[in-house]
Amino acid sequence: MNLRVIRALLKKDAALFTSNRFYLLITVIGIIFYIGVYFILPAQLDEEFSLGMYAPVVPPAFTELTEREGVNIEYFNTEELLRQAVLDGDYQTGIALPLDIVDTWASGGKPEITVYYVSTAPPEVSSAIVLLVQELAYNQTGQALNFDTTEEILGQDLLGNQIALRDRMRPLLAIFILLVEILTLASLIAIEIEQGTARALLVTPMRTSELFMAKGLLGVGLAFGQAVLFMGLVGGFSHQPLIVFLALLIGSVMVVGIGFLVASLARDVMAVTGWGMLILIILAVPGFGVVIPGLISDWARVIPSYYLTDTVNRVINYGVGWGDVGPNLGILTGISALVIWAGMVTLRRRYR
Amino acid sequence: MTDKSIIVENLTYNYGTLVAVDHISFEMGTGEILGFLGPNGAGKTTTVKMLTGQLLPQDGRAILLGKDIARETQAARKHIGVCFEQTNLYEQMTALDNLQLFAELFGVKEFDGYALLKRVGLEGRERDKVSNYSKGMKQRLMVARSLVNRPEIIFMDEPTAGLDPVSSEAIGNIILEERDRGATIFLTTHDMWEADKLCHRVAFVEQGKIAAIDTPRNLKQLYGKRSLIAEVMSGAGLEKREISMDTPDTARSVEKLFEKEKVVTIHSEEATLEDIFIKVTGRRLTE
Repeated sequence: MNLRVIRALLKKDAALFTSNRFYLLITVIGIIFYIGVYFILPAQLDEEFSLGMYAPVVPPAFTELTEREGVNIEYFNTEELLRQAVLDGDYQTGIALPLDIVDTWASGGKPEITVYYVSTAPPEVSSAIVLLVQELAYNQTGQALNFDTTEEILGQDLLGNQIALRDRMRPLLAIFILLVEILTLASLIAIEIEQGTARALLVTPMRTSELFMAKGLLGVGLAFGQAVLFMGLVGGFSHQPLIVFLALLIGSVMVVGIGFLVASLARDVMAVTGWGMLILIILAVPGFGVVIPGLISDWARVIPSYYLTDTVNRVINYGVGWGDVGPNLGILTGISALVIWAGMVTLRRRYR
Repeated sequence: MTDKSIIVENLTYNYGTLVAVDHISFEMGTGEILGFLGPNGAGKTTTVKMLTGQLLPQDGRAILLGKDIARETQAARKHIGVCFEQTNLYEQMTALDNLQLFAELFGVKEFDGYALLKRVGLEGRERDKVSNYSKGMKQRLMVARSLVNRPEIIFMDEPTAGLDPVSSEAIGNIILEERDRGATIFLTTHDMWEADKLCHRVAFVEQGKIAAIDTPRNLKQLYGKRSLIAEVMSGAGLEKREISMDTPDTARSVEKLFEKEKVVTIHSEEATLEDIFIKVTGRRLTE
């Protein structure tokens, strides 16, 4: 490796990078956007459960529910008004109790309770409401209603210690910052091949390995630098900073490898954008799983970015340490080594 | 070191079943300009790629300055310069930065980019972005870039293609200056007039093979014919008469012409390289 050559190539790539508005747009403006998104999102989590209800007669058990902390029940005068409120999206769920509910319970019968959901409500809400009514009915009659229920815990149980949305988004945003550099690096390489400047470089005494090293350093520098800047500004290094630092660094190497692969697949910048976006979306999936617990399950482990996302998420949001994420870091290192090797092999063929 | 800058032996390259370069052999002496002439697809660019280490020969070898380009690629490349046919400059960088980059890649110490740009007629525009240059200016910059390391061998692929006469002449002059400096120049071109003017020898390439290689003069003598073309006044107006200069009775024929006809103009005419190329390969250069 000739350091003079690598320095010259880096200087050239930096000049090309800064003179290209597209790169500036997806990096500098991008990072400002991500940081902005983080700070715009609420820092506090609204833990209140809101429920609309129509109850001509309010059973005592429901009155108790109203008095519980964290439960916000609004009563409507008519069932139609309740239906409209749910339709308008004011409430995800509404419960309409029949007029004879107390008498029916008293006579041992099963009152007809209607539950309204918005169409966009996740299916888990349905189960939760059934359980709630079941519980209230039990409190009222002293006996369980005669139907089966299945208990389901959605995501990690953080009762009393919920993580604010913006904090849950930190791993997603940080990984997104890294992933966008796939596009930057791959288009820088694709442009060099498309415009023939790569050929001009390859007839100098420079070695292909030096070219890859320079591109790799640029890619790692851009991705890692931005991710570190972002995490620094959003408090991502408040716990176990070394693990987060290391995970992002290994992740940046993986991103460079993927950038090489995309550049070797794509014939031009348009193709880079197409392939890059496809890969970017797939790699971002584990990040969405962090934001929406329960969205993905074990199958996400086949996505290379899972081990990066999971590590960053568990360290910064759940305070785990080396012992917990060690295997993740090991797998991530292996994947990154494999990807960068594959990227260099395929790109070397492309340069030929 | 050898007095032969380039020795090519049985160089071969196939793209699948297509034979691009078919066992070609030739040598180039130090300070020589060799014109490599052939139509598109004849194998010129593939040959240049192998000679500059961009492609590994599938058979044969190329020795540049005593170094096998396939085995001692980096060592050989230190002493070569390549001017590509297709403009491949960093357009968002200045001309000076383009040259500086390549000077650093070649490890040139105390590189004077301004002097080199002045030499190719780009003084005053050194700090302009290349994207603002005209085609002729870009081509001059390409030539300048191929010279940053003061190469002992220069590969020039159609350096004057599509240029105006002034730019073509400027590049032609630089080629001659480099020859005078002692550089060996491998020139591929479609321009027979340029090849005739600049090259010590020319090679006609067709279907991956060298159909003929010699000095332009020898090729003309071997394959061409020299003649005198006279315009004479007859009853029907001006008519042409052609007298071969390669027969023993040329002088007698000229004498007879002047005796019997009213000669208006007379001039000698010799075969062009284009004519010779057609005669040797059966094809035109620019088909």
